[in-house]
Amino acid sequence: MNAPTPHTPVTADEESVLADLTGMLARLLEDEYGLDDIEIGMRTTFNRDLELESIDLVTLAGLLQERYGDRVNFAEFLAGMEFDEIIELTVGRLVEYVVTSLKAGEAS
Amino acid sequence: MAMVDTGSVRLHVQRIGPRGGQPATATVVLVHGLLTDSLASYYFTVAPAFAAAGLDVVMYDLRGHGRSGRPAEGYTVEHNIDDLEALLDRLAVTGPVHLVGNSFGGTIAFGFAARRPERVASVSLIESEPATAAWAEKLGGILDRVVTQLAHNEPDAIAWISTHRGHNTARLAKGAARLARDTTLGRDIPASGVLTAGRIAAVRCPVLGLYGGDSDLAELAPWLASTLPDCRTVVIPGHEHSVLVEASGTVGRHILALVEEAGRTTGRVAAEVAG
Repeated sequence: MNAPTPHTPVTADEESVLADLTGMLARLLEDEYGLDDIEIGMRTTFNRDLELESIDLVTLAGLLQERYGDRVNFAEFLAGMEFDEIIELTVGRLVEYVVTSLKAGEAS
Repeated sequence: MAMVDTGSVRLHVQRIGPRGGQPATATVVLVHGLLTDSLASYYFTVAPAFAAAGLDVVMYDLRGHGRSGRPAEGYTVEHNIDDLEALLDRLAVTGPVHLVGNSFGGTIAFGFAARRPERVASVSLIESEPATAAWAEKLGGILDRVVTQLAHNEPDAIAWISTHRGHNTARLAKGAARLARDTTLGRDIPASGVLTAGRIAAVRCPVLGLYGGDSDLAELAPWLASTLPDCRTVVIPGHEHSVLVEASGTVGRHILALVEEAGRTTGRVAAEVAG
């Protein structure tokens, strides 16, 4: 497929990945819940702060796939976690995972 | 997000396969449970391992659940079996599939195997049972409590759940209350058609029954094993009804073993027929 590349080129640093994720989450919150003024930072939790349900994380996985392709596998990241860890998951933890995965992709 | 229109409802579907575009060895279809459940219970647990093992993994949200459409009525087991059949047709999955069902999803999966045995290679039931008269009565009682306590006294019920079961469960309960309030689900499920002992015993494909050792359903394991011609059961100690998410590694390994074994047997039969 030759879909137009969204936003800017992918960069494996914390700041640009946080900007990517903030954009994805804003889109998800607006599409599913009609919310358009949620502040998102590294310490924001998916469950308590953003009130995302597990099915929203499936949607987020799709958005991550759209942006990063197979370099980032969100389902595998979460499949390795305990339920309590998923509940406490922060945006920052996902940012770190994405950065690490992108760097690993560059190295190989 | 992939949506599949069955003709009566739009179903949210997620499908993942082996990495690097390798051809899949078989298709496995994962069916989730009632009210608070969605395909996410598989997506973030066993599905990645199934895909890594070479399977084509199909997950979907049942009608009324997750991101699928929420029609006002039509929630019996038969309606859900119709949806599954239409979904496989729309996805052009024609060969026999391995069905996995959690709780109510297993009741749908088993019902599908009873209706369309030629389309099913194996059934894995997680904390689940076929639709019997006893099952319908039990579900009627549970749904009646959900509808009366949650839907009719929602703020109080949600506050209680939030205090005693935590914020996340309370959020899921709100979705369940909405489903119970806005649809005929609570009336439809207990009114589902049930299977006779003869029709249950006629399901000849390999069946795996997985139960949490601390769950009330674990006592079904011996009955299931003695009723079905090809059935094995596994009771996982230290777990209750949420064994799929709490012990997903163990659950996934047992299901993969069944799928691989059933695949070998099917292959052998095919080879004998061909030879």
